[in-house]
Amino acid sequence: MSDSLPFAESKVPLAPVVDSRTPAEAVIERIVAHTSEARSLFLRPTQRQHLTFKPGQFLSLSLPVDGEVLTRPYSIASNPADGEVLEICLNLVPNGRGSHYLFSLGVGAKVRFTGPWGTFVLEQPPAAECIFIAEGTGIAPIRPMIQRALACDGQFFVRLLYGAEYEQELLYRDELQDWMSRHPHFTCEAILRSPTATWTGLRGSLIERAEQQYVRRDDNRARHFYICGVGTPVLQLRDLLRGAGYQRRAVLYEKW
Amino acid sequence: MAKLHIAYETGEPDRVIEFDPGQAPFQHDGQPGSILDVMLGHGVNLEHACGGNCACTTCHVIVKRGMEHLSENSETEDDLLDRAPGLTPTSRLGCQAVIDEGEVTIVVPRYTINQQVG
Repeated sequence: MSDSLPFAESKVPLAPVVDSRTPAEAVIERIVAHTSEARSLFLRPTQRQHLTFKPGQFLSLSLPVDGEVLTRPYSIASNPADGEVLEICLNLVPNGRGSHYLFSLGVGAKVRFTGPWGTFVLEQPPAAECIFIAEGTGIAPIRPMIQRALACDGQFFVRLLYGAEYEQELLYRDELQDWMSRHPHFTCEAILRSPTATWTGLRGSLIERAEQQYVRRDDNRARHFYICGVGTPVLQLRDLLRGAGYQRRAVLYEKW
Repeated sequence: MAKLHIAYETGEPDRVIEFDPGQAPFQHDGQPGSILDVMLGHGVNLEHACGGNCACTTCHVIVKRGMEHLSENSETEDDLLDRAPGLTPTSRLGCQAVIDEGEVTIVVPRYTINQQVG
């Protein structure tokens, strides 16, 4: 027998199809409080076989709140290579019924979800310098994307521009530092809008820094951008970069 | 008053919803008065994995008639539709397309890009 059978005739059994639509359940296995208003929930699916996802995708949680079921998306902050447990990272949103419900849950509680979903993903090795821009918990989908990018050969720079109001809102700092020490082609800049007097890093907004570094500093328009955050600043960054000459499809974003 | 005709590529029976756009929102997901809002508010399901926040393509619908009765696409909606399977010139996201008056006919496609094999 030839070992070059056409795919359709292969004797290797195909993996069963898992549809993102199929409702699944997970147990909260661990909770990490990054701050009083940001935490990670580590979810272990109970019923479904190993869930595969692409860096950047999200889960759609079905949350029973006040007699109705809310559908709320939460980006997966863990790396697909990490195993079966899925980390979601979220903020306590003022008046946000979904996040208040999730913050009320403890270890052992169950949540229902569908997914993975979403097309804000990094699947292929970077084909150009990659700039990731995140605000606060917007780092969640960016984190596995960076891991995927760093797992490649390092031909292009991988840069993170990470902003927040206050220093404590910059998450995963030890890990980011570790990545910088191990990957010479990875850089991370943190920028705060309201730093304390002891902060020695950058001050200002993400959009100011992005304009300075990636619009005014040179004429290179071959970079790829991945942006995640909350609200209009994400769209302002998109418009800034596309308006400066970057290709539309080279500026990907997720606005929560 | 307005009327929304819904057909399904899966062959499910068609649905028709008559509603008063002035009464929107009909529930809490998607833009008030959007196709998603009208459908969910009248007991007709439409996938919306991101909660109707214009962050995925699961509420992709194809408008067959009445495009002139819908709000204009935003750049964000177009960016997402770019990645929707089976994109057509009259594709819209149900969570963003707001119906003003008149009659609109849509088809709900069979698949989304988010289906996974694992």
